[in-house]
Amino acid sequence: MKTLRIPMTMLLILFAAACVTINVYFPAEAAEKAADRIIKDVYGEQPAPSQGPAAEPQSRLQPESVPARYRYSLLDWLVSPANAAADLSVNTPAISQLKADMEQRHRQLAPHYASGAVGMTHNGEIDIRDQTLIPLKDRNTVKQLVAKENRDRGALYTEIARANGHPEWESEIRQTFARRWVDNAPGGWWYSSASGSWKQK
Amino acid sequence: MAPGRYARTAGLLTVILLAGVALTADALESISLKLGRVAGPGWTVDELESRLVWRDAQRAALLLTATQARLPEPLGTIGGLKLDCPDALIAADELACSHARLEFSSERIGPQQIRTGFRYRFSDRRLQLDLANIRLDGGRVSIKAVQAAHGWDLALQADGLQLDALAARLAAAGILPVLVKGVGTLAFSAQLKGTAARLDAGQVSARLQSSQFSDAEGSVAGENLELLVDATVTAHGASWGLSGELSVQQGQVYIDPVFVDATKTPVHASTRFDWHPGRRRISLHSFDYDQSKTVRLHADGSLDLDAPAPLEVLAVDVEEGTFPGLYNTYFQPWLNDTVLADLHTEGALAGQLHWQDGRLASARLQLDGLTINDREARFGVGGLDGRIDWAGQGPARPSQLAWEQAQVYRVPLGRSQLRVESAGSSVHLREPARIAVLDGELQVEEFELEYAPGAASSWHVDGILTPVSMSDLTRALGWPEFGGKLSGVIPNVNYRDGELAVGGMLLVRVFDGEVTLSNLRLAQPLSVVPRLWVDARASNIDLETLTRTFSFGRIEGRLDGRVDELRMESWRPVAFDAAFATPPGDKSRHRISQKAVDNISSIGGGGLSGAVSRSFMGFFKDFPYDRLGLSCRLENGTCQMDGVAPAAKGYYIVKSRLLPPRLDVIGYADRVDWESLVSQLIAVTRTQGAVVK
Repeated sequence: MKTLRIPMTMLLILFAAACVTINVYFPAEAAEKAADRIIKDVYGEQPAPSQGPAAEPQSRLQPESVPARYRYSLLDWLVSPANAAADLSVNTPAISQLKADMEQRHRQLAPHYASGAVGMTHNGEIDIRDQTLIPLKDRNTVKQLVAKENRDRGALYTEIARANGHPEWESEIRQTFARRWVDNAPGGWWYSSASGSWKQK
Repeated sequence: MAPGRYARTAGLLTVILLAGVALTADALESISLKLGRVAGPGWTVDELESRLVWRDAQRAALLLTATQARLPEPLGTIGGLKLDCPDALIAADELACSHARLEFSSERIGPQQIRTGFRYRFSDRRLQLDLANIRLDGGRVSIKAVQAAHGWDLALQADGLQLDALAARLAAAGILPVLVKGVGTLAFSAQLKGTAARLDAGQVSARLQSSQFSDAEGSVAGENLELLVDATVTAHGASWGLSGELSVQQGQVYIDPVFVDATKTPVHASTRFDWHPGRRRISLHSFDYDQSKTVRLHADGSLDLDAPAPLEVLAVDVEEGTFPGLYNTYFQPWLNDTVLADLHTEGALAGQLHWQDGRLASARLQLDGLTINDREARFGVGGLDGRIDWAGQGPARPSQLAWEQAQVYRVPLGRSQLRVESAGSSVHLREPARIAVLDGELQVEEFELEYAPGAASSWHVDGILTPVSMSDLTRALGWPEFGGKLSGVIPNVNYRDGELAVGGMLLVRVFDGEVTLSNLRLAQPLSVVPRLWVDARASNIDLETLTRTFSFGRIEGRLDGRVDELRMESWRPVAFDAAFATPPGDKSRHRISQKAVDNISSIGGGGLSGAVSRSFMGFFKDFPYDRLGLSCRLENGTCQMDGVAPAAKGYYIVKSRLLPPRLDVIGYADRVDWESLVSQLIAVTRTQGAVVK
């Protein structure tokens, strides 16, 4: 009996540890939904965006060998469902303020996305892709807009991570947004890959 | 230089051939020679033929042809060479040909029909050569060259050179970057003097007119540009003296990241400097730059291009800098990642800047009626005058700043003056400063600023805030207006690593009571998301004044409270732990009006309950109460509510006395959405509220 008890205890500890670990995993799906809500508000009325690639499966971020469907039931059992089905909160005053500023700025930036002068980068920011497409007198204004947009986007990613009590999620939130900015954008806009090469959507 | 060398080589070739023929064909009327291939070092001429027809003893018609000539670079290969000189002078002391035509087809500059003439004197070996109507890049070039014993002179004149073709030629030669677009013309004239292979002096005037040009990245571009350049070069032994003048009266130029609209603000620049190629040194005697409505400056100094810090000395005298031009053109492009990225500016400045060994050694600036307003309304200053004196080393230097008005966020600061002293990387006050804040004053006893290049700056202030009217402050902040005074002793305000911490305490005398603010911290005050932390204590607040101010419905009595760990982001609360209640043992009159009861019950999802029925309540305008209070712990947008005492399934917000008329207000909602609570509060205080019947 005693020999059996030790592995059982170990197993229980393992379970408890796994429970804690799983609970802080980045909720990829919720993040995509939250990103889409914000991005659609910023982009405003658009022609229907093409469907992006399917949401990143949550299991990818979880190194355990436990299959996803078991893990969910495990979670439900160990943690209250409300806690596990994490939704990303994006309703703090700071986020609303940032979003409002970005919405307003987007109206000035949109023609430059469409012309190809400005493109979306792989790290969730924007950059001047081809300044020859911007009239000389407007080039510094557009550079200023790009700098402000990147400042706000950086703050937005940080805020979302903070507002959800996980500052360490920032880079994952940034990556999620980077994908969703591109996926929600209308055709014809430009985006860059990690290697820095530009592609047109 | 390319056309000059071309002309000299072609001229020399002709003279040699003519001289050879003249010596051997003395007694003939005409002579034809087929020379076949003639070659020299670096050049060959194929199927060279010449024909000479004598007219009299000294005059003859000369025709020279060759199928192909390979000439030294950059002349390349030419074909169909034909030199027709109908009236050549062949005398004992000179050879001349005044109206000749030279035809050939070049792989570099296409087919050519050049008007040419030359004269060679045997006595002093003086050669004069003219070449006119050379077609080059859509334009015409003419050359006048004189070679004599004392040296040579070369005059070049070019008109209508097409910018795109010329740029491609210069790019191929590696002189200029590749232009992707270039529409325009270039005209220039040049006078060069030299001896043997050496240039002694030169003068060039050029005029560029371009409707559009740009390099591939768009980092150098122009539109509707008209540019005039004059330059001279003179040899002084081993060094060169250069001077130049540039004038742009029309058009727009963009040199990343500077944009100049010369139509609105014409540019004139001139310079004079010596270049020592052997020592790789530049002695800048003068550089003057004048852009109207923007900046006028003079500079001189010296550079050693081989030194680790090439800039040895540079003195820049900004005679006049005019805003907004100076900020928009020369400051803003470098400030995109700072709080100074988007400013509305007016006024003027002047200054002297001195660099030594690559580092700024001293700066002196005079500010004259400067207005600086952040377009994101975070800060601003108007009527800023002053004198800033700074040196990297040596004794401290005094500076002073005075402004008519300023503002930090929405709080206006009045006319004030600062006298500071700076030494190295620190600044401190020379005398206590008084900064007007609305009707009060921030008396700053001490101020110390430390900064280091590339590191965050830090500063420290000791001060006292004399009473500021809350009515002025609340109006400035756009809050509901209320009376009272804000004052404080702030002995220790520190700013470091982007965080402002206020030591001491701020006191607000308001509603006949007191609110104290302590542990005030402000992170990234001018960033996109400023964060504020503060603890507040309220004591002995007169509820009657408070409820009257906010038209909440009359409540009489006193109130104590605390707000612990209030955290604000972008100036809106995101978390706190607050509780307000009637102070224990309070002896004041405790009455609550019907309207107040109704308002309390209508917010926060609270329920109304009482020993007195609703219909019966109509008889009473107000009710006595024992205690009232409310607490809220805000977290994640939700307020955890509680009252003064627990009740069945809820909590007492207002607890009645034992004697009738009795009225208890009981709250049932323990979790309330903060945003809707605030909007309900605002709605209640803006309307008159429902009357209980």
